[in-house]
Amino acid sequence: MTVVLLPSLLAAEAGGRNRFELEAETLGAALRELPVASLVLDERGDLRRLVNVYVDGVDARDRDGLATELAGNETIRLVAAIAGGRR
Amino acid sequence: MSVLVLVGTRKGLFLLESDDDRREWELAGPVLTGWSIFHAIADPRDGTIHAATNSEVYGATVHRSADRGETWARAEELGLPEDTGLTLEKTWHVEPGREGEDGRLWLGAAPGALFRTDDGGVSWAPVDGIVRHETRDRWHPGAGGMCCHSIALDPDEPHRIYVGISAAGVFGSEDGGETWTPANQGTAADFLPDPFPELGQCVHKLLVHPGRPERLWQQNHCGVYRSDDRGESWERLEANGLPSGFGFPLALDHREPDSAFVVPEESSENRVTPNGRLGVYRTRDGGSSWELLTDGLPQRAWGAVMREGFSSDRLDPPGIYLGTQSGSVFVSPDAGDTWVEAADQLPPILSVEAARS
Repeated sequence: MTVVLLPSLLAAEAGGRNRFELEAETLGAALRELPVASLVLDERGDLRRLVNVYVDGVDARDRDGLATELAGNETIRLVAAIAGGRR
Repeated sequence: MSVLVLVGTRKGLFLLESDDDRREWELAGPVLTGWSIFHAIADPRDGTIHAATNSEVYGATVHRSADRGETWARAEELGLPEDTGLTLEKTWHVEPGREGEDGRLWLGAAPGALFRTDDGGVSWAPVDGIVRHETRDRWHPGAGGMCCHSIALDPDEPHRIYVGISAAGVFGSEDGGETWTPANQGTAADFLPDPFPELGQCVHKLLVHPGRPERLWQQNHCGVYRSDDRGESWERLEANGLPSGFGFPLALDHREPDSAFVVPEESSENRVTPNGRLGVYRTRDGGSSWELLTDGLPQRAWGAVMREGFSSDRLDPPGIYLGTQSGSVFVSPDAGDTWVEAADQLPPILSVEAARS
């Protein structure tokens, strides 16, 4: 199972849950499974600029972004960027 | 009965409650922590709170609560069509539909967008007549973005509605929002090469008087105006005793169409209340003259009141509500004659709206 960990504001928006276990083939598919998907992705389905996503500790933007493939045992951590974010 | 005031701040939503005297207030909250509350209203039809909520990180949305802020749900569908090339930037103003229009509300947003819901805020559909307006390439954003911040419904004519967009101007619709016509004749746009264009004006707040719906008021970047013909023409009013024509907030007295309240700022270059005081100005003669209201307001202040940080209730006499960027809420329970400070030291206030509870 892939584990997704949410920061506090997203957890509040997800009914108080900060940890989700799910199965998905890609990072984008995993994020779209979340009840807070619309806060993480914009209406075009792109990752919001100031949301950082770490897949097993590696910035998803340094991998294949939302197309990053998942084997099913990763830990995905969502973090609000501290400053201007990365494109 | 009591009065509930929803105070939207940069850091969550606060709730103030009082009896009908409106002089002693109890503060609750914050709720929706982490969100900037650009505007929040309690729908007079069912009491549901709707809040235009924005986050630098997580985007723009609308939250709603049917239990006075205990629990919240978020809009499930809200966005702009891909073929417009636009994406939602901010949500600015929620306007409940009329009595009998169950489930209908309107949402003003940036960039220059209007949405409508018919299911109580679960899904919001863009209003094509605004989003795809033929003059859109002549609109431009103000300092706060290209925000649709004012939505005024004619209380008597169910198909008539107005919006104010910065800086596109005032637009009116006679067909329920299908088509829109600019309504800016006589209002200035001093920042454009043609100071009196068809559109492009920077309206800051637009209201329709509930008892005389052909009368509209607006606080503009370039002046304070009144229209007596549904926006077909406008009369400029600040030379009749206001210290400045620049400002954002505007409030009306539901009993008296000739009354209006503004909180001017010194200028667009120096956005503080003039003369080092927090001054509310009231007219009771349609803008022919203005009086400074001072009783209970700070006489030494360099304040700022945002466009949604000022409102009135429907009691008799009406209460006037003012929230400052310095985190104070002032309430006048007697149409501006006297004021009490209902709360202080809140985060910067973006909106105040009163409702029966």
